Amino acid sequence: MIQFQFITAFLLIVLGIYAFLAKRNLIKLILALDIIDSGIHLLLISLGYRIELNEVPTAPIYTGYETLKSPMVGPLPQALVLTSIVIGVCVLSLAIALTINAYRHYGTLDVRALRRLRG
Amino acid sequence: MNGEAILPYLIIIPLFGAFSMPIVSLAGRKAREAWAVIISGATLALGSALFYYVWESGKIVLYTLGAKSPLGQGVNFPIRIVWEVDTFGALMVLMVTFVSFMAVIYSLGYMKHDTGLDKYYTLIIILELGMLGIAITGDLFNFYVFLEIMSIASYALVAFRNDTWEGIEAGIKYMFVGSIASSLILLGIALLYGQYGTLTMGYLALKLSQNPTVVGKVALALFIAGLLFKSGASPVHMWLADAHPAAPSSISAMLSGLVIKIGGIYALTRILFSIYGTSISTKTVGWVIIVFACITLIVGNAMAVIQTDMKRLLAYSSVGQIGYILLGIGIGLTAYGSQTGEIALAGAIYHTFNHALMKALLFLIAGVVIHQLGTRNLNELSGLAKTMPKTTFAFLIGAAAIIGMPPLNGFASKWLIYESSAIFNPLLGAIAIIGTAFCTAAYVRVLYTFFGRPSEKVMKAKDPEGTMLWPILILTIAIIVMGLFPWQISDKIMIPAVKTLENQLAYVSTLLGGA
Amino acid sequence: MTCRPRCGSDMGLIVKTSARAIIPLIGIFGAYIVMHGHLTPGGGFQGGATIAGAGILFLVSFGLDEMKKHYNKSLYSALEGIGGLVFLGAAMLGMGVAFFYNILWHNGPFFNGKPGTLLSAGFLPIMNLAVGLKVFTGLISALTAIALYRRWKS
Repeated sequence: MIQFQFITAFLLIVLGIYAFLAKRNLIKLILALDIIDSGIHLLLISLGYRIELNEVPTAPIYTGYETLKSPMVGPLPQALVLTSIVIGVCVLSLAIALTINAYRHYGTLDVRALRRLRG
Repeated sequence: MNGEAILPYLIIIPLFGAFSMPIVSLAGRKAREAWAVIISGATLALGSALFYYVWESGKIVLYTLGAKSPLGQGVNFPIRIVWEVDTFGALMVLMVTFVSFMAVIYSLGYMKHDTGLDKYYTLIIILELGMLGIAITGDLFNFYVFLEIMSIASYALVAFRNDTWEGIEAGIKYMFVGSIASSLILLGIALLYGQYGTLTMGYLALKLSQNPTVVGKVALALFIAGLLFKSGASPVHMWLADAHPAAPSSISAMLSGLVIKIGGIYALTRILFSIYGTSISTKTVGWVIIVFACITLIVGNAMAVIQTDMKRLLAYSSVGQIGYILLGIGIGLTAYGSQTGEIALAGAIYHTFNHALMKALLFLIAGVVIHQLGTRNLNELSGLAKTMPKTTFAFLIGAAAIIGMPPLNGFASKWLIYESSAIFNPLLGAIAIIGTAFCTAAYVRVLYTFFGRPSEKVMKAKDPEGTMLWPILILTIAIIVMGLFPWQISDKIMIPAVKTLENQLAYVSTLLGGA
Repeated sequence: MTCRPRCGSDMGLIVKTSARAIIPLIGIFGAYIVMHGHLTPGGGFQGGATIAGAGILFLVSFGLDEMKKHYNKSLYSALEGIGGLVFLGAAMLGMGVAFFYNILWHNGPFFNGKPGTLLSAGFLPIMNLAVGLKVFTGLISALTAIALYRRWKS
C-alpha cells in the first residue's frame, strides 16, 4: 500500500525550502521555516509506526487497561518530536520579535531592503 | 576526586544560576553581577578538575542519566541517554569555561551603560551551558537539544542592541541561516533513526560498521552540510562577517572563539571519527573537506585585507583560521591511522584551543577601543600607541600569535599543520602558506595604523581600567606562557587526545561494557 | 495603518461577554492537561501553552489597557524562575544514584501507586506542574512585550 505519510512529509520539506528561497516578505520566510520543521516532525513520527502481530498499535502510555497482546508505537520518536516542537516555538517567537523591530527601523517588510551591511 | 561524581554538576550549576537569575536580580545590580561571576567561576573550577582527572587517568568517563547502567533490563543494548567524555571533550570543556569566565568579567565593565542587563547575564550563562552540553554528550538527540539551546541564546545576544539597525539586520540574517542549518541536521538525525533504530553514538557506530547503507551516507552528507554552515566554512561564510561585528564585544569574543568551534568543528569531528569511523571511504570524504578548507583559507584571509572596519576584519580572519582547522581535520581523515594523519589532527585540535584564546583577546581589545573612542573605523584610529600603550602591546602579542611567530603559541599549531600538509601533498602546503601571507598583510596593516601619528580623536583616549583590563592581561599571559612550552604541550596533551579520538573501539566498548 | 477605535481599547460587547464565559473553561481544561500528563497525551508544555491561550484571549478581547492593570513584569519573571528551580530540584532528588533518577517511584512515600492512577509515576506530576507554570508565564510575558511594542507610533 502506498505510504502516504512519507510522501507528504517530503512534499512539505520541499515546499518549505522553495518558499524560503523564492519569497520576499519576512513573515513568509518565517512561515517557511515553520513548514520545514513540520515536515521533519511528520517524517520522524511516521518512522515510529510499526506493525507487529497483525494488530494496529496504540499510543505508548500504560493506562492499566492493556492486555498482553496490544502492541504500542515506538516511544522514542514521540519524545524527540515533542522537544523539537518546543524548540520551534522558541525560534518562532524570537523571529517575530526581530521582525517587528526590523519594521520599526526599515519601514518595510521586504527582505531585499536588509542590505545595509555589505563588503 | 572522581570524574563520574563531578560530571553532572557541570550542567547543574549553570542551570541553577540561569534559573535563579530573575530572582537574584530583584535585589539590585551588584547582586546580579556578583552572582554571574560566582556561577562562571564555579564552572571554571569544575571544568579544570574534570580535565585534570580525564588527562591524568586516560580513561573515558561514562555517566548515565537516570540509572546506573545504560543497558536495558535483560537486553544487551543501551536504551538510556549517556554522557561520555574523552580527552578531546575534556579539552573543549576547559577551553569553554576559561574563555566564558573572561568574557563575564569583561562585561562587568563594558556593559555598564546598557539596559536590560538581567536578560544579558541569563543569556550568557545559557550560552555557556549549551556549549558545555555539546562537549560532554554521547547521544545524538541530546547533542541536537544542546545545539539549539546554544544557537537560540546566540541569536538573541547578537540582536541585543535593538535600538540600532545593525544589530537587527545581523540578527535576522544569522537566525535564518542558523535555523536552516539546524533543520538539515535534524533531517540527518531522522534518517539515521529510521534506518538503524537507535541514537546512542557508540551503539550507532557498531551498527553502522556492521551494515553500511545508502541512507547512512545521505545522512552523513546532510550532517556535513549543516555543520559547515554553522562553522562558517566558505561558500556560506557571509553570515559571520555580519553577525560578529554587530554583537557587543564580549559576546563577539565568545561567538568567534567558542561557538563556531564547538557547534561546528567539534561536532563534525565527533561525527566523522567516533560514529562513522572506518565504515565510510575516508579518502572521498577527506578530500571533500580538504577542498572546502582550501577555499575557506584563501577567501577568508584575502577578504580580511581590504576591510576598514576593525571588527569586520577580525571576523573575516576568523573565517580564515577555521580553514586551517578544517584542513587539519581533512588530512587527518584522508590519511587515517598513519603518522601524517596524527600530526595533522593534533595540529587541528591545538589550533582550535589556541585560536579561541587569541581571537577572544583581539575582540576584547576591539571592545576597549570602541568603549574609549566610540569608533570602529580604522582610518580614524591612527596613532593609538601613544595614548593607550598597554592595549597596543596586547594587540601586538595577539596579532603575532595569529600570524604564527615563534615564541608564542600560534607557532606550534600552525607548524604542525604546515608540516603535515607539506608531507601529504605539497600543493596544500603552498596554499596554507599563501593564506598566512594574506593574514600577515591584514594584521601588519592594522599595526601600521596604530603606530602612526595620533589624530585628534585619539588624543582624548586613555587605557582601560579595572574589570576591563584584567581579562586582557590574563589572556596575554596565557598566550605567552603556552608559547614557551610548545612541544611539551603537543606531546603530552594533543597527541594522546588524537589517539583516543581515533580509537573508536574504546569509545564503543566503554559504552557497552557496562557502567 | 490607523485603527478605527483607539489602539489599546477593547473589541466590543459581544466579544467581551463571550470571552468572560470561555476563559475559565480554557483554564480548567489546561489544568486537566497538565495534571494528567502521565496518563493521557499532554503534560507540561502542552498544558502551559493551552492556559497561555486563555491569557492571550484576555489580552486580545479586553485590550491592552486592561491587561496592563493585571500584568506585573517582575512577578512573572520570578514565577518563571521558581518553576525552573522546582524542576531542577525534582531532578536532583535521586542524586545519590544518578542525575534524574526516579527515586519517588522506586521507594518514595507518596507517588508510587499502581500505573494508571493519578498518584503514580514518581516525580513526573511535579515536573509537569513546574514546566506548565514556566511555559505559561513565559508565553504571557513574551506576547505582552510584543503587544506593548507598538507604542512607537502613538
